[in-house]
This record gives sequence, C-alpha cells and structure tokens, in this order.
Amino acid sequence: MTGLAVDDAAWVSAWRLRSPADKLLLSVGLVLCALLLPVWPGSLLVGLTAVVLALGPARVPARTFGRAVRVPLAFIALGALTTVVQVGSGGFGWAPDAAARAGGLVGHAVAGSAAVLLLATTTPMSDLLPALARLRVPAAVIEVASVTYRMLFVLLTSLSTIREAQTARMGHSGVRASYRSSGMLAAAVLTRSWDRARRLQDGLAGRGMEAGLRVLPEALPSSRRFVAGTVAGLAALAAVSVVA
Amino acid sequence: MHIAEGFLPAPHALGWTLVAAPFVVHGARCVVKEVREHPESTLLLGAAGAFTFVLSAIKLPSVTGSSSHPTGTGLGAVLFRPPVMALLGTIVLLFQALLLAHGGLTTLGANAFSMAVVGPWVGYGAYRLVKRCGGGLLPAVFGAMALSDLATYVTTALQLALAFPDAESGFLGAAAKFLGVFAVTQVPLAIGEGLLGVLLFRVLTVNARPELVRLGVLRPDPERAEP
Repeated sequence: MTGLAVDDAAWVSAWRLRSPADKLLLSVGLVLCALLLPVWPGSLLVGLTAVVLALGPARVPARTFGRAVRVPLAFIALGALTTVVQVGSGGFGWAPDAAARAGGLVGHAVAGSAAVLLLATTTPMSDLLPALARLRVPAAVIEVASVTYRMLFVLLTSLSTIREAQTARMGHSGVRASYRSSGMLAAAVLTRSWDRARRLQDGLAGRGMEAGLRVLPEALPSSRRFVAGTVAGLAALAAVSVVA
Repeated sequence: MHIAEGFLPAPHALGWTLVAAPFVVHGARCVVKEVREHPESTLLLGAAGAFTFVLSAIKLPSVTGSSSHPTGTGLGAVLFRPPVMALLGTIVLLFQALLLAHGGLTTLGANAFSMAVVGPWVGYGAYRLVKRCGGGLLPAVFGAMALSDLATYVTTALQLALAFPDAESGFLGAAAKFLGVFAVTQVPLAIGEGLLGVLLFRVLTVNARPELVRLGVLRPDPERAEP
C-alpha cells in the first residue's frame, strides 16, 4: 500500500501485466475520441467504454475509480457554469444555448477524465515511464522522472507522519499555528528529500554507478488480440458517433 | 488549479502544447546536460520533483474556510531556476494527472505553460527584482511564491477565456468572469503560499544553510565558513 489509491489500484489491476504500449494506445485513443467526436453520442460512449473496461476486465475497485472520477468534477462544474453565464450591458444572464454548451463541456471533460483514469488505474508509473523512451524522451529525463516516482511515496509517508506528530502537539490548533507548522513541515520534508538523495547517491557510488541508473525492465509483451480489439473498438466508436 | 482533461477544445489543447513545448524541451536539454556532467544530479533532481509533488499535499488553511494546496513552482524556481522547473513542473503535472486525477493529458500543454513556465519565470523575476531593490531573502521569497501562484492562476483564467469567449462581451468579459470566479480561492492561496515560503526559508536558513549556499540562494558566510 502506497497511500495513493490510484497507484494501489494500478499495481493490483488485472491488466497490470499487459504491455504499457497496448494500454497507452487504448487510453489515448479514447481520450482523443472524447475530445474530437461530437458529445452525443461520442462522449457518452467513450465514458461508458472506459468505465466498463476498468470495472470489468481490468477489475479496478469501483470505489477507487468513482472517487478518482469525482476529483476533477468541481473544476469541471465551476468552469462549465462560468462559461455559460453571460456578462453584458444588462448584467448577468445565461448564454443563449447555455444548457447545451455546459452539457457538451461536461460530457467531453468527464469522458476524457474517465479515459485517462483507465490508463492510470491499470498501469503503474514505473511501467509507463520506460515506454516514454520510444517517444524519444531522453534517458536522463526518464531517469529523473523515475526517481521522482520512487521518492514521492517516501516523502508522502514522511509528510503524514510529521503532520500527525504536529497535530498531536496542537500544531494545527489554529490558523497561525497551522501556518507555522506547515512551514516547518515543508522544510523538514525538503531537507529529508535532499538527505535521502545524498544517501542514495553514496550507496550507488559505492556500487560503481558511473552513468545512469540502468535497471532491467520487466518484459510485458504486446498482445495482438488486444491491439486488434482496441483498433476495431475505437473505429466502431468513431463510426457510430459520426453517423448518429 | 489545473484544467481538467477534455475541457479545452482540440485546437486550443494542441496550440498550448506547441507553446509550452520549447520551454519544456529547453528544460530537458538543461537537465540532460547537467546529468551528463554530474551523474549524481539525477537523484537531486528526482528529489526536487518528488518534493514539488508532495508540496501539493500540504493543505493550507484558507480565509474562505476551505483549504487549498500550494503549487510550489515559485519555490522550485528560486532553488533550481526556471528552465529546470519547466521540466520538473511538467513531470509533476503528468504525475498529478495519472496519480491524483488532477489535470489531464490533452490539457498537459496548457497546464504546463501556466504552472511550469509562466509561474516559475514570474516568481523568479519577482525574486531577482526584490533582491536587486535591496529587499532581503524573505521578502524576495514571499514575492516569488505569491506571484508565481498568482501568475499561474491568471494564465489559466486567460487560457479559459480564450477558449470560451463570452457571447456578448467577448474575450475581455470572459477573462473577467474566470478571473473573478477563481480569485475567491486563488488570491488567498497566493498570499498563503507566500507566507508558507517565508516560514519555510526561515527554517531552511538555520537547518539547511550549506544546501542553500550550494544552490546559490545564500552567499557563503565568511564567519561560519569551515576552516
């Protein structure tokens, strides 16, 4: 357990051992469909496909998926509402096609978010980052991102432990105390991250690291059936949305 | 505040990705060069990325009753300079999209431009300006963190206004709407983030002086220098 529900779900997902490139193809395909196809019925179909695939074959816990989908909802609702409120000489009012525009925006955004979550809840970042090398992302950048991924859980644990200790000592009893504690918390986590990086460096230097953290990537072979199904499904989805 | 997946129309999503790309590529080149010269920097840069991500998990009590989280890119810009932050910020945004469902993939370019490019550069500019005008480290840090946060929010509001101009009052009306709606949470947050920066640096100047000197934030203190 790492403390980030989406990451936990990704590690235990039934699709964990599928090739990251296959899952990337499916999710990015769905994301593009959600963005480019007309909201009715395109976005609805994309959203349904993402949810059904995640909860069905990929066996992502419904609670985790539901909670994660809710995260961007506040922004989407507020953003869509602001878009359709009109400011004119006569004060505020609804734009002429307010309901349709807001509905369209919410549809595109929720479907897109569900499609991204399908990738997020089935593929751990440590599988996804090596796949970026194929997109010609420099190795040094992938390494920095990998270290970031591996270190952030340690820092998140430090953060919650320190905050718990601060709270137990009345460190968050008022706004003033809370700011003071948050400042110390951030400083403690920052110095710990430096300290950890230095210790890791010392350990790796002792083992002869000269250039790059080379690790053997896990072999996750691509499935022809999965790719064929993805392409056929996406084509069918696009065709239905354009014709309807 | 990140723009959610699918919220921006395709031409805008693509456009902002193209606008952000040169900055991120420049940042990546700086990181590749740094890592080639000093392989050990990989770990320090990774730690900096992880810290920026984790900083967004610190909840600050806000005046409006809710709590919000800092973006941390102003701090990163002061410690590691804006080009590096352009890359680290983008990596953090990708992680936030895939681990926390904050932001998205097609809106990554727009979010990277506001949070990883405009925010750090404005913050760093404020930091240098305050220091040049004779302000001390703490006012400079306050300026960097508060203004980088404000600049990020203003950029996001303008991006949204550009994508969804008001039917009657056009881009300006839409900009006023989005700036107004998000100001409720973002202006107190910017001030809060500035205060957090000051408190953070007060602790760092005592506890992590050598690191700050190494990063060029503090000048070596001749009295404290080791023999």
